[in-house]
Amino acid sequence: MKTVVTNIQGYSLHDGPGIRTVVFLKGCPLRCRWCANPEGLLPEIQIGFLKNLCAGCGKCFGVCPENALTEDRIRHRIDYGKCTACGKCADVCDYKALVRYGREMSVGDVFDAVRRDKMFYDTSGGGVTVSGGEPLLQAGFVKALFELCRAENINTCAETSGFIPAGNLLEVLPLTDYLLFDLKLMDLEKHRYYTGQWNDIILSNARLAAEQGADILFRIPLIPGVNDDEENIAATAAFIKELPGQQRAQLMPFHRLGDSKYKALNLENAMRATEVMTPEQVEAVRRRFEDCGVTCSISK
Amino acid sequence: MNGTSINEKLLEQIDRIELSERILAWRRAMRSAPWKLYADREKYTVQSWRETEGEDIQLRRAKLVKKVLDNIEIAILDFDVIVGRPTPGVIGACTTIDVAGDYIPDLWDDDGEINLTLNANAGVDRESLDILRESSMLFKGKTAREMTEKAWEAVYGSWPKDVTDAKIKDPTLDVSIYGQVTSVLMWDKILSKGLGHFIDEARSHIDAFRRRKDPDVSKLYFWESAVIVCQAVIDHARRYAALARDMAASEKDPARRAELLKIAETCQYVPEHPARTFREALQAMAIVNVCKLLEHPMHNFAQWGRGDQYLYPYFKNDIENGTVTLEEAAELLAELIGRWGTQIFVTNESQRESHQVNFGINNILLGGLDKEGKDASNELSYLFLHLVGLLQLSSPTVGIRWNRQTPDWLMKKAIETNMKTKGGIPLFQNDEVMICHYMDDGIPYEEACQWCGLGCVYPCLPTRAEHYGAEGIAGYNLAAVLHLALHNGVAVTGKRVGLETGDPRNFKTFDELYDAFKAQHRYVTERIFHLAAIARNEQHKYLRLPLISTLGLQASMDLGQDVLIPHPDYAMFGISDRAVIDVADSLIAVKKLVFEERKLTMEELMAALDSNFEGPRGEEIRQLCLRQPKFGNDIDEVDLMAKDVSAFSAGVIRSYDNAPFRNYMVAREGLAWHYFGGLGVGALPNGRKAREPLNDGSASPMRGMDTNGPTAVIRSVLKAGFEDSYAQVLNQKFTAAILGSEESREKLMQFTKAFMLGGGTHIQYNITDTEELKEAKVKPQEHKDLIVRIGGFSAYFVQLSPEIQNDVIDRSEQTL
Repeated sequence: MKTVVTNIQGYSLHDGPGIRTVVFLKGCPLRCRWCANPEGLLPEIQIGFLKNLCAGCGKCFGVCPENALTEDRIRHRIDYGKCTACGKCADVCDYKALVRYGREMSVGDVFDAVRRDKMFYDTSGGGVTVSGGEPLLQAGFVKALFELCRAENINTCAETSGFIPAGNLLEVLPLTDYLLFDLKLMDLEKHRYYTGQWNDIILSNARLAAEQGADILFRIPLIPGVNDDEENIAATAAFIKELPGQQRAQLMPFHRLGDSKYKALNLENAMRATEVMTPEQVEAVRRRFEDCGVTCSISK
Repeated sequence: MNGTSINEKLLEQIDRIELSERILAWRRAMRSAPWKLYADREKYTVQSWRETEGEDIQLRRAKLVKKVLDNIEIAILDFDVIVGRPTPGVIGACTTIDVAGDYIPDLWDDDGEINLTLNANAGVDRESLDILRESSMLFKGKTAREMTEKAWEAVYGSWPKDVTDAKIKDPTLDVSIYGQVTSVLMWDKILSKGLGHFIDEARSHIDAFRRRKDPDVSKLYFWESAVIVCQAVIDHARRYAALARDMAASEKDPARRAELLKIAETCQYVPEHPARTFREALQAMAIVNVCKLLEHPMHNFAQWGRGDQYLYPYFKNDIENGTVTLEEAAELLAELIGRWGTQIFVTNESQRESHQVNFGINNILLGGLDKEGKDASNELSYLFLHLVGLLQLSSPTVGIRWNRQTPDWLMKKAIETNMKTKGGIPLFQNDEVMICHYMDDGIPYEEACQWCGLGCVYPCLPTRAEHYGAEGIAGYNLAAVLHLALHNGVAVTGKRVGLETGDPRNFKTFDELYDAFKAQHRYVTERIFHLAAIARNEQHKYLRLPLISTLGLQASMDLGQDVLIPHPDYAMFGISDRAVIDVADSLIAVKKLVFEERKLTMEELMAALDSNFEGPRGEEIRQLCLRQPKFGNDIDEVDLMAKDVSAFSAGVIRSYDNAPFRNYMVAREGLAWHYFGGLGVGALPNGRKAREPLNDGSASPMRGMDTNGPTAVIRSVLKAGFEDSYAQVLNQKFTAAILGSEESREKLMQFTKAFMLGGGTHIQYNITDTEELKEAKVKPQEHKDLIVRIGGFSAYFVQLSPEIQNDVIDRSEQTL
């Protein structure tokens, strides 16, 4: 079984308990306007161009079999109409200005990479976190990976948008020690407007996971002007509070750091101009959740 | 005292302590005072040396110490509660002409200006200059260092100087290390018995000697010298007592008058008698250390030893009895940490180049196993960390002796202190690994568990005479040895100092190159160790250290023998063979590019190296070199190469027959040496340009080349093992944001624990500051490893667009 992995990142401190290795699987059904990892949206391998690293050496022109590289270093080097993402240009780029997003890996490959940091999981209670993209679109892959991890006592965690078939969730949940579940917006239509999809499936999956007794942390990307209004905060808190079990929430304050990746892929970043919230503003939202009876933290 | 009975309330109180007004006043004065050179010590040295002409060297040196201690100008400054400085100024230095000879450049120029390599322009008046010149005249050509150099020259001609010029042999210690034998003073005994006891001990040896009719009169001289110097130290303290009384008599402020009278009372009592209080203990240490510095003004590499252990009983007693408040105790301790941490010395050019600073480097190790096998961390360890975090000085080097029992509260404080100091303080050393090293080398546990740190990270035992740096040859440079192999024995200076191992262009296999490196290494090692043996044989004819011997090594007292004369049962020898990683990365690059993938011929590679990658294909070849596997990314091929280079080099060193003494041990220390070491090395096949710094530490990956994250670095280091070296320094760099929260700091503790449980020797964390991020913006190629991580988002800093980089820089500024 193979899939396209965007990145495997050791020493991750914020995506589940302990020191973790996060495996980013490529491909996501949502198109959230604030997405910080746009290279994870499409399921296939892509080539990005980081223009501030390009020295203009021109080495890449000679190797592209599709003639997909343009002279235009200022706007964008790659003509995605022609690019097949073969990666030959990235291989020769001495300056790492042309980069490959994603590589094909088997479950075994991923597990080998994860297992290497076992010593750090052991001292910290950490393990693997699958993220994305939407990792649970590939429930079979995740399940196979988690089975291998369980056999070696490696803690497992999945980070999901919740927009997946319920069957996928049920397939993975029994092998998942910890679930990071994103809750973006409670209003059905607003959710569709900002993410491209309605939230009904997401909310029912959240309920399902809670009913199954999963250890869940609800993560709320806090986006100024989108979901930081009183109405949405109250509705989100109410939803979380009504779920069975003691549920917790975590705020993920909006940041603009993903902008470079949009540029690298020549994508429009809808939230480029959005101002980040001050720590005081974020703290006020956190207190609102607490006031509504939901234990809430802020991701650093 | 172990973790379970710790006074948690006291720890909370310590957390709230701030620097007192007195300490701040000292810091202001220190920062604004011009650094001044004082020739007083030199003046009395010259007087004494003339008076004792013809006497035995041991007694001559003891009388020299006495003369200086009896006469040198002393002062008590407004903010002093603990007294004792080697010079009367807030920040001053004295020279070491009698120990190391005419080492100050331009001392003979007659234009009235001398080029002292102090960091700032040191003030020196005409009268002092004349004294220095007179001293230079008296000692020129007669010091231990110069006599040793003559002996070297008799055997090897200009070779020792040539390898120094070529930065193969580390010359940094030619001056300062001279006579830098033994490790830390026996603080425990000095505090608990008092110097009066040392005098009694020496006298009883003298009596026995006469009864025995022992023919070896050198022992008698030693014990007599011990009595002279101990009495001189006691008298020196009394000079401070008298001065304090005088000052009190004319002091108008009643509070200060009381302080001065307290000083007088304390200095009248210690260090002659056993210390009764925390204050007396610190005062005794201050005076004894000043006297040590006046015996040998550069002998300041290790002062504290295990300060949190021997000082603890006094601290605990006084706090419990209410003799001092915690705030008073903290102020006293801060005063001594600050004083010792800002000791400056006069160096020569090469020392300056290497160490970057003229501050004496001193070291304190906290916690660690005791004789019963329990971790000995205590509230005082915690207080030391807290004060170091507040004081923000470049010295002391503070280390945590990490072991499985090291309590979380200490680790937590250590990581928090690290956040404050940013630059790798405290560092973490593996207590268990270090003790095992010593035990493997035949040292019993009870002794091994007392290990201390010397200078940066060099381990030493207080029960042994550490002939640190092999008698003035602290280490050698493996990257420069590789340079010799790549240039048929010719160094960057153009002189042939190595073997003729052949023109590398004719090498047909990788093994020929590796063998050439090994042959050069053996050649250099053998010669350097012979130089060290010659030095060991010569130097004690011209120099003795009666005070340091008496107060530093019990065996000296028992045997009646100065520490500069090595004794087979007590002498320890070590050396640093640095730049293992540079060599491993370079060897792998040649192996792959030339002999496996045949992307380059040796001809092409050498042309690129010799033109410093500046020829027509230079940059292209450099990029090829940079893209080869680099240590620190968990790539077996290069990690195992590092293991092999390390094992080979350590093997040559450790198997060198050093009879009748112990064999050498390997300790790859030196925290700032890589700048200097790089000067002697041309462009390397790892892609580093000529004269650029080598890798820092001794297990750190090439700068900017560890692109697989911190856990991969650890895996590389543990895979390479470096089992043959006592010290192997890993500098791990983190951006401040990664350590921004309590949760992430806790995870850093667990990360450290995993490294230690895996057998790692030494790790320290440098927090990338805003300046470095700004530099990375401009020079992305050198900072490819900088990772930015913010919940769920991760990217290499250099891949971010400039405005986003600014965002990250702003965030970094907020966190710090």
